[in-house]
Amino acid sequence: MSVSARQPAPPIVGLHFNDIVGLDLARQALLFLAVDPSLAGVALAAVTGSGKSTLARAFAALLPDNAPFVELPLNVTEDRLIGGLDLEATLARGERVVEPGLLARAHGGVLYIDAVNLLDAGVAAHVMDAMARGVVQIERDGVSAVYPARFSLIATFDPGDGAVNGSLLDRVGLIIPFAPQGDAAIRAEVVRRNMRRNMRRNMRRAGDGDNADEDAMLRALIELAREQLPQVGIREEQVEALTRAALSLGVEGNRADVFAVKTALASAALAGRTDVSEADLEIAARLVLIPRATRSPQPAQAEQPPQPASTPAPHPEQPDPTDAQADQTQTQTPEQIEELLMSAVEADLPADLSSLPFAAQRRGRTGSRGVALNDLRGRFVRAVPGPLRGHKIALLPTLLSAAPWQSLRAAADDKSPAAPSRSAPVVRITRDDIRVKRFRDKAGALFIFLVDASGSMALNRMREAKGAAIRLLQNAYIHRDQVALIAFRGQAAQMLLPPSQSVDRAKRELDALPTGGGTPLASALWLAWQTVRQARSRGIQQATLILLTDGRANVPLRPHEPAVDKDRIVQEVRQLARAIAADRLNAIVVDTQAGYLSRGEARTLAADLNARYVYLPNAKAHQITEVIAS
Amino acid sequence: MSAAHTSLTAAPAFPFTAIVGQDEMKLCLLLNVIDPRIGGVLVMGHRGTGKSTTVRALAAVLPLITRVAGDPYNRAPEDMPDSVPASAPAPAPNGRAHPRDSKPKVERVPVPVVDLPLGATEDRVCGTIDIEQALTRGVKAFEPGLLAQANRGFLYIDEVNLLDDHLVDVLLDVAASGWNVVEREGVSVRHPARFVLVGSGNPEEGDLRPQLLDRFGMHARITTITDVALRVEIVKRRRAFDADPAAFVAAWEKEQRALRNRITRAQKAVAGVELPDPVLTQIAHVCMRLGIDGHRGELTLARAAAALAAFNHRPRVTWQEVVAVAPACLRHRLRRDPLETVDSDEKIERALQASTVES
Repeated sequence: MSVSARQPAPPIVGLHFNDIVGLDLARQALLFLAVDPSLAGVALAAVTGSGKSTLARAFAALLPDNAPFVELPLNVTEDRLIGGLDLEATLARGERVVEPGLLARAHGGVLYIDAVNLLDAGVAAHVMDAMARGVVQIERDGVSAVYPARFSLIATFDPGDGAVNGSLLDRVGLIIPFAPQGDAAIRAEVVRRNMRRNMRRNMRRAGDGDNADEDAMLRALIELAREQLPQVGIREEQVEALTRAALSLGVEGNRADVFAVKTALASAALAGRTDVSEADLEIAARLVLIPRATRSPQPAQAEQPPQPASTPAPHPEQPDPTDAQADQTQTQTPEQIEELLMSAVEADLPADLSSLPFAAQRRGRTGSRGVALNDLRGRFVRAVPGPLRGHKIALLPTLLSAAPWQSLRAAADDKSPAAPSRSAPVVRITRDDIRVKRFRDKAGALFIFLVDASGSMALNRMREAKGAAIRLLQNAYIHRDQVALIAFRGQAAQMLLPPSQSVDRAKRELDALPTGGGTPLASALWLAWQTVRQARSRGIQQATLILLTDGRANVPLRPHEPAVDKDRIVQEVRQLARAIAADRLNAIVVDTQAGYLSRGEARTLAADLNARYVYLPNAKAHQITEVIAS
Repeated sequence: MSAAHTSLTAAPAFPFTAIVGQDEMKLCLLLNVIDPRIGGVLVMGHRGTGKSTTVRALAAVLPLITRVAGDPYNRAPEDMPDSVPASAPAPAPNGRAHPRDSKPKVERVPVPVVDLPLGATEDRVCGTIDIEQALTRGVKAFEPGLLAQANRGFLYIDEVNLLDDHLVDVLLDVAASGWNVVEREGVSVRHPARFVLVGSGNPEEGDLRPQLLDRFGMHARITTITDVALRVEIVKRRRAFDADPAAFVAAWEKEQRALRNRITRAQKAVAGVELPDPVLTQIAHVCMRLGIDGHRGELTLARAAAALAAFNHRPRVTWQEVVAVAPACLRHRLRRDPLETVDSDEKIERALQASTVES
């Protein structure tokens, strides 16, 4: 077996590493990664135009001996990613020729993924597998091969585009969770340096400018730090302090501790020290632990840290390892070190934790997850054997699977006495060869339950709706459908379960079912409609609203406006319902009112929504799911 | 091609015995080594908790097996068919197939632990014609797939909840029958494919098909370790391993060997472990109380308890072993009641306690 000799494109070095300004934390992170590649990678929150891809390329230039720089396009197919048979070369050479995929090509260098939060779960799983094993295993199209695939992952994401795949992000050691603010001065500096560089190039003096010197110096610095790294020691109390910090920030899993310790060591090595200082622990916490926080640390109960506001944290850039200080830290307990550490980095924690990638996921926001394979829509990912009916043929894979049989079939045809006199076909394809396309779609359908949580039967309704939601999820594994649940009571509707496909999550989020109060039906319709619109922007095209209500609203959309009469409330609901119907949403109204009390409000609501109307007082979960299924 | 396999996967794996915590997952894996009929393990847990590290560490503590030299299906001499059926494929291209009459040469090889990567295609999983030979020489030769490699060993699927439905169906078929059948244009192969299925995944990334869930004998749950001392120990060992994998593995070799010997002893002893009737009755009671359909629950629980007894050098199964393995054997078999707020482990705990009181 040999490997086709296609060379990866040479890295395009744009700016020098030192030219990157305003991304200081990112720059530090990349230096640590260069010193210790087992930190696995750097993930960088960045908006377009902040110089992130330039940074990644400049980083590759700092790596030894023309390390490869491979960019992973978001629409990569599985065979390009993993590798496979190079049919052309195989036929030409008469031996099996394997073409390695992008993961293998990044070996020893950098794999760069822009907008990693838009990467689909399948591709992400392959990247993770390669990162975990350091190899990529090809088992496809009659090819079985293993290639080394150790690379540093540099990934960027725009937090506004949705959450990043948590499992992938967790495998990346260093995370910069916030985009640098659009500081005009920084932008100006970027432009200035770019221009200077262009000027130099025009003067044909590339290679011996200031920056070339700086790059050479940086490279030497990294080299020194790499040599220094095995000599750097970290005390057990310091390891424990980092671990304690991880625990108090609610960091999930045990991987972060290892990354944090390695970051502290790399930081010390870069500074030319053999002992880990407080500053090293701080930068480790900033780059590894804070971005993974899922909760704010609990303040110590009795001991109040002495005026944290008035004593500024030791400046991380200028550690001062005097003997006195060293002696002092020798006697510190892990708890004391942790306290110092936390008070120094706590300011990095945003007030709204949900802006951090892992905390956001805990709260149930799903980003680009919820992918499903289907047969007709979405993005082509792989070809599978299957009937042509209802599918699209994957021509190339079909030819690929037919190719090995050609000479055998030709021989069989020649021998066959009943061979037709017509000329033999050029390519002999049988049904077994047919490969059809599998597409990856963003998701299946979205079902939103809108449950009236007011009135006497509210708890019962809520329980049955929860049951139906979970049932639906349990049956949705093929289609990867998502379910959301909105309860309406009191002043406004509340999203109890954001769109999700996890039974676990549904159970957790629907643990407590609040009930009682007024009936803000309009608010619920509005919230559901907004949710569907967001879902559509993520590619979920099909949405169904399931309303469990008697249809009687008594709280207006804006309850704080004065003088709202009952008619106005009714009109509001009707208007909204018609607007939703015009937006082509499917809806089902399950009327839960006991018959003798009903005045037909639910029926009117169903008519306005252009919805199916079902009368089910005391509706049970299984009855609700049956209605949805029918 | 196999050379590439061995050289790369032979990079030292983190030693199984050096893995801190996650005792339930480790025990589940070991019990399946002792008695493969337990039916595999599904490991579900949060990211970064060492799921795949642990599974991949397993290979190094597994006792060797005896197979016919070079057999692509890892068959033991006694498993070889007496006569080669006419429909059998051409012998392996390397010509190592043994002559029919002479006694086959045997070799001792490690128990295979085969990775089934997510992007695998059906032809490589089940085997297909050797495309190189077909393309270049027009020869129809069967090239065994991953299921052949995994025979008598372990088949590991990481991120099992992301596996293509199409492949899941194939796996379920083979797992149920223990045989892999390939029929295609004159290629007709049927070979044994008995393997312990090990899957791992993160429950927050989608659920498993119920049919697939049922296939796993045991279901191990793992969580983030929150004990500071243990976490510090994890960091220390990981650093030591990363700094010098070979030295680290060597330092743990004594523990590894001890565990390997213990497994070997347990494998020999497990068939002789006594399962007293009262214990068996109690097992049935527990399953009934939990409303578990079918008998797979009882069977798995009894086998796992016997394997644990063998592992602990006990001559017979006592209630203690049953209690130890019941959660992992039963938690994925409870009827899924959407309205249930009680954790499945708690339900099992209650059922176990009720049975203890009764007896």
